[in-house]
Amino acid sequence: MSTNRRRHANAIPIASFLTWLCIGSFACVGGLGYVWCKNQLYTTGTDIKSLERELVDLKNKNEVAESKIAQLSSTAKLQERYDTGFIKLVPITNDHITVLSNAIPPPKTGELRSVANERTHE
Amino acid sequence: MNRTVQKRALVTCFALAGCFTIFSCRLVELQVTKHDEYAALAAQNHVTRQTITARRGLIQDIHGESLAQNEPVRTVVADASLIGDRAEVAGLLSSVLGMPHPQVMEKLNREVFSQALKKNVPSPYIVLKKEVPENVASDLEAQLAERKLRGVYFEPSATRVYPNEQMLCHILGYVNGQNVGMDGVERTMEDFLRGHDGFRYSERDRTGKEIVPYRGQEKDARNGCNVRLTIDMGLQNIVEMELDAAIKQFHPKSATVILMQPKTGEILAMANRPNFNLNVEEGVPEDHRRDRAITDIVEPGSTFKIVTVAAALTEKIVHPGTMINCENGYFAAAKLHDHHPFPDLSVNDILVKSSNIGAAKLGIQLGDQKFYEYVRRFGFGERTGVSLPGEVGGIVHPPHLWSKISITRMPMGQEVGATPLQVATAMCAIANGGHLMMPQIIHDITDDQGHPITQFPPQEVRAVASKSATDAVRDALVEVVSPRGTAALAHVVGYKVAGKTGTAQKPEPDGHYGHDRYVVSFVGFMPADDPAFVALVLLDEAQVAHDKNYGGMVAAPIFSRIGEKAARYLGLKATEEVPVGSVVAGQNVHSDYRDQ
Repeated sequence: MSTNRRRHANAIPIASFLTWLCIGSFACVGGLGYVWCKNQLYTTGTDIKSLERELVDLKNKNEVAESKIAQLSSTAKLQERYDTGFIKLVPITNDHITVLSNAIPPPKTGELRSVANERTHE
Repeated sequence: MNRTVQKRALVTCFALAGCFTIFSCRLVELQVTKHDEYAALAAQNHVTRQTITARRGLIQDIHGESLAQNEPVRTVVADASLIGDRAEVAGLLSSVLGMPHPQVMEKLNREVFSQALKKNVPSPYIVLKKEVPENVASDLEAQLAERKLRGVYFEPSATRVYPNEQMLCHILGYVNGQNVGMDGVERTMEDFLRGHDGFRYSERDRTGKEIVPYRGQEKDARNGCNVRLTIDMGLQNIVEMELDAAIKQFHPKSATVILMQPKTGEILAMANRPNFNLNVEEGVPEDHRRDRAITDIVEPGSTFKIVTVAAALTEKIVHPGTMINCENGYFAAAKLHDHHPFPDLSVNDILVKSSNIGAAKLGIQLGDQKFYEYVRRFGFGERTGVSLPGEVGGIVHPPHLWSKISITRMPMGQEVGATPLQVATAMCAIANGGHLMMPQIIHDITDDQGHPITQFPPQEVRAVASKSATDAVRDALVEVVSPRGTAALAHVVGYKVAGKTGTAQKPEPDGHYGHDRYVVSFVGFMPADDPAFVALVLLDEAQVAHDKNYGGMVAAPIFSRIGEKAARYLGLKATEEVPVGSVVAGQNVHSDYRDQ
């Protein structure tokens, strides 16, 4: 076999090899990237789901608390607590209430008059 | 190649081509012809439509106090096809949900017929328990996750809660198991309160877990609107307490109190007895659920005389000082009695003394047609239009159906059927100068963010009487609440009160009026010159001595107590001089309280 012919037979097609290597690597990276992206998508989905659940839980807890507050601060409940003496308010009896009437215009004579209203019940 | 081999090769080729053709045909059938059918079947297995539940709107009082709201609960659901150890799951469920173990097992063992597999399979949807409180559901969910048990799900839901329980029960109404309003405001405002559920299509994997990236079409829920009532819970509380006290004292068959703003027609408070607890669904007699203020028809009795006098004054047939011969207590032509013999009474005094004969004579002077026209003008015989379900229009017969004595009976409130709300609305017209206002219970509607959607401004139905006539009636009604009148016990210290008593005999089954069953009432307003509210108190068959069963003795003191507390609550400026030593009305005043 001539030298010329042997050189020709053993030649490594570097350009072609590199081309295929690039294509192969690109395909591998693409494939792995696709899998990674898909995985990320699922992980994000799981995260979204758990955050949504957390949000719903918090909303529900908030609504339960709101409902509880509404019940405790309702007129009926406050009246009940007042009646049982839980709210330490002293009821004002009618004999301790003074009803103020409109001021009577002063007489033209310039006579002095009282400015205090009278108690309804002493 | 010899001929035989060639032949075999050809046969093989045809056989293979035939096989592939069959497979291809089947493939085309599966992928093209029956694509939709199989896609739907696949979707049935993996795609689910999740409902995003809309929150029902709140009902609030005029100051924003919550009267009806939602409490989140969950429905516990099981997919028996995904449950491994049913006994273990049943054990956990029964202990946490408080259900008997055999009952849970029975539910988990349910089977359904599968069309695809042509046999019974474990049921994929079993409702185990509804309305499970949020904390119990969370606890159960955590325990299931800890033990790695699957096949049990939690569907979000909400239950309606009424913080004030019995209070305002007839106005608020209630919802059914599907959260649909069945009565009261819950029913009339259903379209606003309901909201619209959203949805989301999503795919699930083999274990039933949602595959979030494969979520499909999604639409958010639109929450219901909030409804604000004209009711003031401060006043409502006063009314409820006084009504409870009255029930304890008089043991009536039923009772109603209404507080209205006469200038706008807004209902400030309204309560009936018997009532019921809105948070208790079962065991409530139907009779207790009825809103008697708008569904019960009663003969108004003497309170109706305000219509007669206002009509006569508006028509200028008489003036307030015109003297009417009251026949000394017996009007023979009409076979009509007064409680006391009165020789002559002025038109004003017909109201002050509540003379039946005087009212009858005014009716006769007006004439059938004119009187009927005024009765209808004041809103009797037709629904008021309040936004509450079940309202009735009352009974007012047209003149051609009247008997010969009807014109003497109707002016004093007999032969007329009216609801308590109609009587209160008619008194509002007297208090505001002659304008019949439509009773309002809804103030406004806002969306769940508080943005206004609709407002309900005051609506005048029609002018019913002249200003001079209503002023004269008001002056007479002020005298009714004086020692001269029939309702001195309705007096409120420091305020000028106007009002009219009513004591209506109830008809017996034979059609005649009995002498032991009465509907007693008082309807009035204060302060008389610039009314802040009109109040009606009505008791049906109060259990008191026969000689004390009058509107002036039973209903008027209740009005006085409500008026006194309401004036204090509303911060009304006193209009009258307060004499030294005077106490709350109803305790130290003496007069004749008997009306007809």
